[in-house]
Amino acid sequence: MVPFEHYILLSAVLFTVGSVGFLVRRNVLMTLLSIEVMLNAVNLALVAFNRARPENHTGQMFAFFLIAAEAAEVAVGLAIVLSLYRLKRTVRSDEADLLKN
Amino acid sequence: MPLALALSPFLVLGFGALLIMLAEAFGSRRGGMALGSTIVLFATGLTAAGLWMYGLENLKGLEAVAPWLLLDRFTLFFQMLLCLGSALAALTAGGYLPEHELDRGEFYALLLFATFGAMMVSASGDLLTLFLGLETMSLGAYAMTAFRKASPRATEGALKYFLLGSFAAAILLYGFALLYGATGHTDLAGISKVLRAGAVKDPMVVTSLVLILVGLVFKVSAVPFHAWTPDAYEGAPTPATTYMAVVVKAGAFAMMLRILLTAFGDAQSMSWSAGWPPVLAGIAVLTMTVANLVAGRQESVKRMLAYSSIAHAGYLLVGVVATMRAPQQAGASVLFYLLGYTVSTAGAFAALVLCGSRGRETVSYEDLAGIGRRHPAVALPLAFFALSLAGIPPTVGFFAKWFVFRAAVESGFYVLTIVAFLNSVLGAYYYIRVLVYMYMREPAVGAPVAVPMRSGYVVAAVILSAVMVIVLGVAPSDTLDVAVAAALSPG
Repeated sequence: MVPFEHYILLSAVLFTVGSVGFLVRRNVLMTLLSIEVMLNAVNLALVAFNRARPENHTGQMFAFFLIAAEAAEVAVGLAIVLSLYRLKRTVRSDEADLLKN
Repeated sequence: MPLALALSPFLVLGFGALLIMLAEAFGSRRGGMALGSTIVLFATGLTAAGLWMYGLENLKGLEAVAPWLLLDRFTLFFQMLLCLGSALAALTAGGYLPEHELDRGEFYALLLFATFGAMMVSASGDLLTLFLGLETMSLGAYAMTAFRKASPRATEGALKYFLLGSFAAAILLYGFALLYGATGHTDLAGISKVLRAGAVKDPMVVTSLVLILVGLVFKVSAVPFHAWTPDAYEGAPTPATTYMAVVVKAGAFAMMLRILLTAFGDAQSMSWSAGWPPVLAGIAVLTMTVANLVAGRQESVKRMLAYSSIAHAGYLLVGVVATMRAPQQAGASVLFYLLGYTVSTAGAFAALVLCGSRGRETVSYEDLAGIGRRHPAVALPLAFFALSLAGIPPTVGFFAKWFVFRAAVESGFYVLTIVAFLNSVLGAYYYIRVLVYMYMREPAVGAPVAVPMRSGYVVAAVILSAVMVIVLGVAPSDTLDVAVAAALSPG
């Protein structure tokens, strides 16, 4: 059986990979993907913590809600990316630079 | 049955939003959508006001929905505040959207559902409902920001808002997950109980507090996580900007107060040596100073108002820090400040909408040049709201700042208060600049001249906010009593 700490370690690694990806990638689709990786790190942490506390299912339940909310969020995000692509024929965030001080 | 009564603000708003969606799908006339949404929002606000007067303590069985939804006076106050802010945004939209040929009914449905989410945030006593309310609120706000599909600026603003907002939500959620791991609870009261029992020194709790603070600071748009705010505010259609500045900000502060005062309300987390107050105090100083300095350099009035909303988040954070020593008084001052900020900001944006018309929007200071002489009736309200935002008596902006500063002084935060006071003097510069351009400058030869639009809806929004700014500025004590009754106590 895999010890509980390993899951948390994996989730921390995933979260770091996701945040670094969010900060360095310039392709909006990759940025969205990085956010998904971060949210999945959250899901993994929630489920792993729940296994350490088997008296109720709070963590698992939280993860289910999170998956549904993520889907809604991605739908809105992709709609915004699509409308950016229609206007500018690009999905790179560094080419969206009209708004400046 | 008492439970249904206590939940009635949610029910009225939820059913009202569904009705508005049906009216959009099957109705032939578009004109009534803004009026319909305003009626729904006022009905919700009045239901909450009725419950306030009836007294929640007379209703039994409210613990059936706890800890998911806490039906207390804090919730009722925010329900009234959020409905007022959304109603002002809906009225502004009623004039702005037809004028700029954006009149699609889904705007109002998004607005109502997002308000439902914000109300849920303010009512939640559990991390799960807090997160669901936050997502409902944010998703509606993202979509409203992107509403001008043909405009590259609107899409860019919405993209930045969406990406940074989701990033912040992910950070916040990782904090929630660690907090659950450390305490075994997702309800705020349960977390607080475990922290009091001594888990507060656990490094996992400390990490989760840091992550949660980062997420919260993002959501209230304070420095250093404010970069999305001016872009999203400038790109969005002005009613959506009003909505973000007023409702989303109030919702974010409700979330901050609920989490920090309930979950992290134990003595150690609220101490100056080892808790969240010094962090927030530093962020407040940074926020006020940076926002006021940058706001003075803006050429666009909309961007200036965006930085102004960041600066106001800084003043509000001063109040949140002061809850450390005087929870009742400082908490009440934050709530009162949010109310004053809501009516002043929503009024300023409505007056700005009123100053321009299709193709001749007032965006920059130059566009406002000379408007005070050409169209005194629309320049006066904008000047008035600018003075209220600057905090000049007898407007509500003055008393809002006064109460926050007084709470901070009485809690012994002298340096913080002096910094906040100096900042509000610095901030007056760019608000007064609006007046200077309107009354003392003339447009450059050949520059496009702004022509005011005509709309009963926007005029109604301006009048409603102006009345509230005056009334709250002349007689704030009754409303302050309401805020005192609504303030949360720690733990």
